[in-house]
Amino acid sequence: MQKRKENMVVCILFILLLYGGFLLCLLMPGPRYLDSERRVPAPAPKLTADAVWSGRFMEEFESYGMDAFPFREFFRRMKALTAGGIFQRQDNNGIYVADGFISAMEYPFHEESLDRAAERFRYIYDKYLTDENRVFLSVIPDKNCFLAGISGRLSMDYEEFEEQMAAKADFAEYIRISDLLERDDYYRTDTHWRQERIIDVAERLAQSMGITLSGNYEIHEVEQDFYGVYYGQAALPLEPDRIWYLTGGAIDNCRVYDWQNGRTIPVYDMESAKGRDPYEMFLSGSLSLITIENPNASTDKSLVIFRDSFGSIIAPLLIDGYSRITLADIRYIHPDLLGKFVDFEACDVLFLYSTLVLNHSDTIK
Amino acid sequence: MLSQENNIMLFSSISFLYYFLPIIIVLYFIAPKRLKNPVLLLGSLVFYAWGEPKYVFLMGSSVLLGYVFGRLIEKYRKKRAGRFFCIVSVLFSLSFLLYFKYADFFLENFNAVTGLSVPLLYIALPIGISFYTFQLISYTVDVYRGERAQTNIISLAVYIAMFPQLVAGPIVRYSYIAGQIETREHSWDRAAEGICRFVIGMAKKILLANQLGELCSAFRASGEKSVLFYWLYAVAFMLHIYFDFSGYSDMAIGLGRILGFRFQENFNYPYISASITEFWRRWHISLGTWFRDYVYIPLGGNRSGKGRQFVNILIVWMLTGFWHGAAWNFIIWGLFFSLLLMAEKLWLLKALEKSRVLSRIYTLFFVMISFIIFNARDLGQAFSDIRGLFGIGEISLVSAEALYCLKSFAIVLLMGIVGVTPAARKLVGCISDRPTGGRILNVAKPVILAGLWLVMTAYLVDGSFNPFLYFRF
Repeated sequence: MQKRKENMVVCILFILLLYGGFLLCLLMPGPRYLDSERRVPAPAPKLTADAVWSGRFMEEFESYGMDAFPFREFFRRMKALTAGGIFQRQDNNGIYVADGFISAMEYPFHEESLDRAAERFRYIYDKYLTDENRVFLSVIPDKNCFLAGISGRLSMDYEEFEEQMAAKADFAEYIRISDLLERDDYYRTDTHWRQERIIDVAERLAQSMGITLSGNYEIHEVEQDFYGVYYGQAALPLEPDRIWYLTGGAIDNCRVYDWQNGRTIPVYDMESAKGRDPYEMFLSGSLSLITIENPNASTDKSLVIFRDSFGSIIAPLLIDGYSRITLADIRYIHPDLLGKFVDFEACDVLFLYSTLVLNHSDTIK
Repeated sequence: MLSQENNIMLFSSISFLYYFLPIIIVLYFIAPKRLKNPVLLLGSLVFYAWGEPKYVFLMGSSVLLGYVFGRLIEKYRKKRAGRFFCIVSVLFSLSFLLYFKYADFFLENFNAVTGLSVPLLYIALPIGISFYTFQLISYTVDVYRGERAQTNIISLAVYIAMFPQLVAGPIVRYSYIAGQIETREHSWDRAAEGICRFVIGMAKKILLANQLGELCSAFRASGEKSVLFYWLYAVAFMLHIYFDFSGYSDMAIGLGRILGFRFQENFNYPYISASITEFWRRWHISLGTWFRDYVYIPLGGNRSGKGRQFVNILIVWMLTGFWHGAAWNFIIWGLFFSLLLMAEKLWLLKALEKSRVLSRIYTLFFVMISFIIFNARDLGQAFSDIRGLFGIGEISLVSAEALYCLKSFAIVLLMGIVGVTPAARKLVGCISDRPTGGRILNVAKPVILAGLWLVMTAYLVDGSFNPFLYFRF
């Protein structure tokens, strides 16, 4: 009798879970945007004979089912807590938390990726640059460089990484900045570095490129909480970051032009600071080609920075020493098109890339 | 071939658990008794078509041929024509399998031997063809041996295409299930039993096999291999393949139970075996018994002396290996077992009986080596992996990556090692034998099952697609 009762309870629980889930999947509208992962969810596939016959419908349905699953964030958090708490996994999908900082375990070192990046940089050098250009290269280590060692996670040999990159791009003068950086120079929940903590890095770059920065900045805090890109990936309950930004010197008066959208943009877009990705407040986020002009410059020198998203934060700090800085993100614009917009004659050129991009350089055009 | 695998509706997927399963279960249970098989067949065809719409017709024609041959064999059973039809039906079934699964293997080897370059066919492998072909052969041979032929084609199609065991077994014998297809009972008790089995199988797959698979992938992707890493990989893959496949079998058996069927067991704690002979009585039982009954015994088994018996063993194990995949490493894997089995039959078995510990170490070691061969991309990789275990070549003893993986997967490995033994089952048995323990278990069991269900849903929602290993067979 007792056994029968137990079996009934098992069946009823199963029915509740199965049909509760089924009804919620059917009736609950899926999210329009996955905030924590900063992406649009997979759409519901269209049911057509062709889609079914080719198997496309079924393939897309599984992605849709996972993305639109009710209480998705709750379940992702449950998984992250189970992986770390019960199974004692040291990382969850390659993401880990150490000392309150979230980081991706950037490992292993993909030498072929470095070769590719160097080859693309050399292509630009050969196509646009001459001996009149002073060319520099600097590598920004990702946060894992400073967290892995103390937390027992895997990490690349960052020194070897820098040395190899410098050797492969031997047409450029290498500027080492990794010795100036530490864990606290990065956001706890995001990949990026913090503008208010990298003034020394900007000065090192400036000094190496032979320019002087004013160094007089005011620090401002953005009121909005900042949940960085790792926060969503980690799916763990952690405190948000705060964003600080710097004004003063030439930053206040410079003009920024977005060539991609044909518009003038502010250095710090305070609307973006309130948006889904507050980091986009720095030079409006991922744009292929922008120009920062310094009308009060005492020089006519110009700088072209080939960069990734880390460049958006540091470029405003360098404008003191130039009349114009052009930022090109060759993940979004092919180098062949740059000649139409950028005057490379006698300009300084800085290749400034994070290890995150260099170690996965497939995205570089 | 991979894209075909990726499209398959896995039991451990959101589309199966939260869309297909609720619909098929409700339709099945509200259907009157006479419509239960048609509903089950329809659901199974949808399930199969989800992965491969085009190959539904291939499976349909296999069923049709099986039906026609079954009737013909029954009609002419006592005559030579019966034997003829039985052979023809087996040849038809095997020809489908040979064409879709092995054509490119034969062409590649033909090209290699002759120096010609006959173009390969690049045929996508129909999901579950190895399993349903064997079921079909089991049907026609059983009919030839005296079982009644199925007069209802829907019932035969249910036997072949039933979704719980369609794509990865267990290989259900027709003689075993014929009665259940016609009449079966449904009850809360059976359903509860099936639910427990299904959830436990799913936990094996999602919580253990998938994580162990991650460790194996990390090893394969690593450029920093060490002796420790080779051993970690070897142990992890042993556990991975067990939890993956036995988890799937548990899910299939559990689903069958919910629907009123009782399938044969497919695994019985194989890693506690004291010999390779015992291992194969406990591992993939439905395949082992299939080969025994439909190949080994018809070849003469052990009835014609040791020499003939060893030839039969060699043939059976070569075929067993080849069944697992169209590559030389699978054939070598099968032959490797045949050598061990022959050695055991000659003298080793008696020697092993002297030590319970050594016999188990021996079994686990050779099974581990066999799975290294099994999982290798090619023979070169298999030998390189085996050499790595013994530190042959310029391999360091430990590496940072291996130590990290050991730390990160320690609990999973430990759970896996405990999970391959009957320890948990014995513990539950001990607890339930005591009055208080029994009462606690009554409350805890549903809670644990519900908790597992939610955690597994969490893993599915967070995770990517994880195809079962055995779908490629």
